[in-house]
Amino acid sequence: MNVSPSRFDAIPLRLDFEDVEVGTELPPLVKGPLTTTHLMRWSAAIENWHKIHYDAQFAVEHDKLPGLLVNGTLKQQIIAQLLKDWAGREGWVWKVSFQFRGMNRVGETLSAWGRVTSKTAHPAFGLVELEVGLMNAEGKESTPGKATLALPFRGGPAVPYPFVPPVV
Amino acid sequence: MDESVRNYIGIETEEVLACDPVEAGAVRRFAQAYGDIDPIYRDGDARFGGPVAPLIYPSQMFRRDFYDADPIDERASDPDFDGLGQNATQGLPAIEPLAHLSSLNGGNELEFFRFARHGERVTLKSRYADIYERETSKGKMIFVITESEYRGEGGDLIVRATRTQIRR
Repeated sequence: MNVSPSRFDAIPLRLDFEDVEVGTELPPLVKGPLTTTHLMRWSAAIENWHKIHYDAQFAVEHDKLPGLLVNGTLKQQIIAQLLKDWAGREGWVWKVSFQFRGMNRVGETLSAWGRVTSKTAHPAFGLVELEVGLMNAEGKESTPGKATLALPFRGGPAVPYPFVPPVV
Repeated sequence: MDESVRNYIGIETEEVLACDPVEAGAVRRFAQAYGDIDPIYRDGDARFGGPVAPLIYPSQMFRRDFYDADPIDERASDPDFDGLGQNATQGLPAIEPLAHLSSLNGGNELEFFRFARHGERVTLKSRYADIYERETSKGKMIFVITESEYRGEGGDLIVRATRTQIRR
């Protein structure tokens, strides 16, 4: 999956609210190609035995799908990882939403992406709104969504943990 | 859509305890299965009170308990069995009038308040928030909206999830 522990050597432990601007793009997180073995391993890890992820005959003949599909739960996990890594140890991923609009088939390589759409300062931290998604190698978006992250102010304390949402 | 389906709206579960606590081995398999080799999942971080599980992990903890019936055995001769057991409905009763329809994950909204810690017990309470039919480019589809809250041992909220399941 193109991931090694060394990935975390490159991730800053802290990202300040002031370091982020509207339009800032997150470094993409790429996974793949996702083989049947990857899908089987994920299904086993979460004990979800939905056949459309490993039984090609059932997927095609019974459910009339084009082939084995990448699990929606795996796709949302990749976006959550992108956000968690980017927010750093002192920030927090508050909210994320996804729509599973497109199917991703076994064999695809998926790239999680994010772009800052707005930012708002609150008393204890800053909130950053993002659009997020998951794109395959052909540039087809399958999992569009939105996210809200809390980031610390420069020179200030970490975002309070456990996270307490701001009173609106 | 069979109008009796609407009777399921508002049905909620009792508060259910996950069959296992947050286990180090289960967290390892989960994180490795999507390639998130973050030290907080094994070694921990003082900010989070020790080793923790990935953000979405609590929502995947509610599995078949040791003495529960085995749907894979029970439906081994059923050519329509798609492999999903009761875990697909987050503890809610299956919607019988939709039993003949296939199921796709339409999307999720997740709100995170903290990580679940290793060794911690997690509870779940779910309800059918809405069920409706919509005409789409691929024909009529039924959308089942489920809201779930995952809480820690002290009753504090860890994750809130709103799921959209598409039946067609």
